[in-house]
Amino acid sequence: MKPARARSGALLALLLCLAPAAGRGEDAIFVASQEAGAVTRIDADPGTGPVLLGAGPAGLAAAADGTLYLTHPDAAAITAVGPDGRIARRLQFRGQPFGIAVSADGTRLFVGDWQAGTLSRIDAQSGAVEAVAEIGREPAGLVTDVAGRVFAAERGGDSLAILDGVTLELRARLPVGRAPFALALSPDGDRLYVGNVRSNDLTVIDTRLLTVLATVPAGRSPYGIATSRDGGEILVTNQEAGSVSVLDRSLALRGRIPVGRYPEGVAVAGHRAYVANWFSNDVSVIDLDEHREIERRRVPEGPRAVVAVPAPVRAEAAR
Amino acid sequence: MRRFLTMLPLALAATAALAHGPTPQKVEQTVTVAASPAAVWKVLGDFSGIGTWHPDVAGSEGSGGNREGATRKVTLRNGGTLDEGLDEWKAEAMTYSYRMGEPDLKALPVSSYSATVTVVPDGAGAKVSWIGRFYRGDTGNEPPEELSDEAGRRAMNRYFADGLKGLKAKVEGKAAP
Repeated sequence: MKPARARSGALLALLLCLAPAAGRGEDAIFVASQEAGAVTRIDADPGTGPVLLGAGPAGLAAAADGTLYLTHPDAAAITAVGPDGRIARRLQFRGQPFGIAVSADGTRLFVGDWQAGTLSRIDAQSGAVEAVAEIGREPAGLVTDVAGRVFAAERGGDSLAILDGVTLELRARLPVGRAPFALALSPDGDRLYVGNVRSNDLTVIDTRLLTVLATVPAGRSPYGIATSRDGGEILVTNQEAGSVSVLDRSLALRGRIPVGRYPEGVAVAGHRAYVANWFSNDVSVIDLDEHREIERRRVPEGPRAVVAVPAPVRAEAAR
Repeated sequence: MRRFLTMLPLALAATAALAHGPTPQKVEQTVTVAASPAAVWKVLGDFSGIGTWHPDVAGSEGSGGNREGATRKVTLRNGGTLDEGLDEWKAEAMTYSYRMGEPDLKALPVSSYSATVTVVPDGAGAKVSWIGRFYRGDTGNEPPEELSDEAGRRAMNRYFADGLKGLKAKVEGKAAP
């Protein structure tokens, strides 16, 4: 274990979205299609087409160097895709890997096992398991923060677990709404937003005090969350309603934007948000200044997770 | 920040959460009906009235009417029951969405689903679409054949297709198939 390294850096790798970072220029947006078994870059500079990975990728996270990690729950595996868009390696994972997050230094992966109700920390290169903690049932979204903590949505337990990323000891467990799934940190890390799929609401956590600040209504079946770059707006996908709700930081509803069918993951890059529409097999591009969908792009079947990789990160990785 | 402190108390109820695996499945069926959309909606739009048009349904009891939060208990001819909750009902758009409550593998070999029915104009008639998202009956990595993705797809597609055939027959004034 390398506690100092695990605590360093400022990466926030999320299951369904990447918190906006301070990068300027164009971010790269990747979407994972579970049914097609593919990951596709969908921003303005698409490069080559989808990368075929096989066997339904579900969870998606990006490391600081731009490496993507995708979980394959049905194939007991994790794929690493390099910043060049090629499959770098495939790690075996004993169990049903679903949610995934990357340590700040990119050397460790945190992986939730949906069936076993555990959180594992594994070596990002070798896939070797370093530590396993029993957590609540059906771990869904995972997030790491700059303090080296891991937040895990326990969908089957209606709760949120907060663990030490080094020891994997449970620091706190907070009750949230029914069936929490997606998590998103605010850009400065002071708040964690938790989407509760079955109670159709959003729980807001104070990450310093580890208390619940508020629970506010969201749309039907909130499945994905992202914040604007300045943290002033929170986007929540309403899977069953085919829309995205926009809340301001005081948690007032500012708008509702129609998108495709069964939207799930959402990621923000600059003044655009990208929403994966699972049923309609496309991605809605939303203009955040005008709060409207400006484009819809076809992607391989079953898109669920989206991640934004900030441009400066990619520039460094390419050097 | 003060306003946050006065927000709703948390729902702490320890409900038996629904187990479902990580690979959702799609179901989609459509039918065209030789009748006006309004005539179709009049039959389809009543959430608890599914027993009047779905040939696989032996009976349906509703509670709460056609408002968000309403429920229906659907008894199938195969003996299983579906407990479903209405999430959205929009008469002007002729659509409603609902979700399964507790799973009953005897009714349908799936562990969780949500679905939406919609009526749209189609030439002089109407087109009805019934789409849904579900998880297989056994969400482990080694499901038995009868609780696999394939078994779930087969059952859900048949249930939706049978229903739309029955709806079409009922609205067009023919005997149920």
